[in-house]
Amino acid sequence: MSLAIETKKLTKTYRSRGGKGVDVVKDLDLQVERGEIFGFLGPNGAGKTTTIKILLGIIHETSGEAFVLEKEAGDIEAHKRLSYLPERPYYYEHMTGLEVMRFYASLFKINDDALCKSLLERVNLANDMNRPISEYSKGMQQRVGLAQSLLNDPELLFLDEPTGGLDPMAHKEVRDLILNFRDEGRTVFISSHELSEIELICDRVAIINKGIVIKQGHLNELLTGARIELVFRGLAPDKAKEIAGPDAVVSQSGNSTVIDMAAGNNTDAIIDKARAGGGSVVSVIPRRLRLEDLFVESVREHGGGLA
Amino acid sequence: MSIILSIARTTIGEAVRRRILLVILLIGILFLVIAPSLNMLTPRQETTVLKGLTLGVIQITSAVIALVLTVYMLPNEVERRTIYTILSKPVQRWQFLIGKYLGAVGALGLMIAMMTFTLLFVYAVMQSEDKPAGAIALFIVILISLVSLTNKLKERASGQVVIALMAGGLMATLYWIGMATGQLETFSDFGKTAAMFFIQMCLLAAVGVFFSTFASPVVNFFLSGGVYMIGSLFNTLFDAVAENADMSPFAKGAVQLLQSIIPNFQNFSVQNTTVNPNQFIRGEFYHYMNLAGYGVLYIAILLILGIIIFDRKEV
Repeated sequence: MSLAIETKKLTKTYRSRGGKGVDVVKDLDLQVERGEIFGFLGPNGAGKTTTIKILLGIIHETSGEAFVLEKEAGDIEAHKRLSYLPERPYYYEHMTGLEVMRFYASLFKINDDALCKSLLERVNLANDMNRPISEYSKGMQQRVGLAQSLLNDPELLFLDEPTGGLDPMAHKEVRDLILNFRDEGRTVFISSHELSEIELICDRVAIINKGIVIKQGHLNELLTGARIELVFRGLAPDKAKEIAGPDAVVSQSGNSTVIDMAAGNNTDAIIDKARAGGGSVVSVIPRRLRLEDLFVESVREHGGGLA
Repeated sequence: MSIILSIARTTIGEAVRRRILLVILLIGILFLVIAPSLNMLTPRQETTVLKGLTLGVIQITSAVIALVLTVYMLPNEVERRTIYTILSKPVQRWQFLIGKYLGAVGALGLMIAMMTFTLLFVYAVMQSEDKPAGAIALFIVILISLVSLTNKLKERASGQVVIALMAGGLMATLYWIGMATGQLETFSDFGKTAAMFFIQMCLLAAVGVFFSTFASPVVNFFLSGGVYMIGSLFNTLFDAVAENADMSPFAKGAVQLLQSIIPNFQNFSVQNTTVNPNQFIRGEFYHYMNLAGYGVLYIAILLILGIIIFDRKEV
């Protein structure tokens, strides 16, 4: 199957005034297959938006190659078949929702009011299409963004933080729309911090940190390790950290102390030590590895730079 | 072309709603309206000074609008990230830049036209001598009729048709008023001067757009403003340098280089013939065509340079 996105040793270096180069993206190799939802994850400043900008031809790579829909990144022919929804999109506020749609449609040389209206209906904005954008909530603006991103019936969608700042209802609506995109055979490339959201919808993910891809693969393969959650009462968090070791995550929840760790660790020994330290067991819950665990572990292994 | 026009239309729509521009325009119009009340001069002086003053107000107001409009144009698009959504569509960077420029020029044209119309209105009221109230009432009736007609047409005709009808209606009204007050020639002079101001401001907007491809808004404001100031004193300044025998050859060379780069904005200040009826331009039509050609050439060069820089710019 041909790839929707492919990068080979993609590098972007910014030079400071003193001439010192900073690699924002370094030797990035990405393969995004057609028809999948691909999550592009990383802490702030990891190089996610820079990568998307290179793929869209908004900025140029320093070295390496980037292909989008089998064309070089930035190719105008590829732009006819892709769409982009930036993080917290802004629209010209004097326009109504329908006028925004007409404007973006005109950039594709599409003059089809029925299409604009039907897409707004699809994102539940049928009753608000003639209201000015300035009166729209964040969620409504995001939905206009999604509607405009479908104007050209794209094969590939770039979504940068598509659920950022939305309430839970809007989250679900956007998530359902994205899942529909996949059902329609479109490729979706999502950059996001909302790991629980990504885990629910993505087929494959890549985790990037300091410009380097540190994990890439199918979610099912990446999230194979099991975890265990131990909840104690009367155990001080410092003591819990000492008992559980550096790889475990210790947190406080009300009167309880929670130890979250890999299932392979010696659970019995840790429970015994906790009891000896004055703690009593409240619960022992085995669970599946979450994307959040994988993300935190991967980033920590790679220098710990969570912003 | 449809992409460029679409971007231009959006830019006009945004520009005419920007509060800072509307405040500057309002101040300009206010000056034009109160100018006749400065009646400390003799009637003849009054007319001459009034013409000079009001045309000066239009020129300065238009220049400030052109600067404010263009220096923030590209930085605003980047800051609000609208540029990313647009450039991710099949839009070439040159199309975006030209669209933004044409939009700025369209908004400028609209604002200059409004000021010119106000000036003609003020002048016609002044000329109506003992019946200014009647003249004002007549103007208001005509304006209201035109606005209500436009509103009615809006539902039935496209935006371009409505604008064309509105502009045609205004022109016809002005022609009729000019005929009625015997001031058609003066009106025509005002119109020509305003048209030259418009070309001058298109040139200034091109300077602003050019600098906006690499300079920050504040730096751009001073750069474009500086070019406009030097260009507006072009002949006076460079003639004085040429006649200065004490100047070193190196300094003279530098000034000559500057002279060959900076556009001559002073060429477009043709208000002397409007202000002073004894002055006239020989071969007027060709003179204005030459000026327009000069302006268009400079605009084209500035936009091409801007496109070359913007094409490589990382936004």
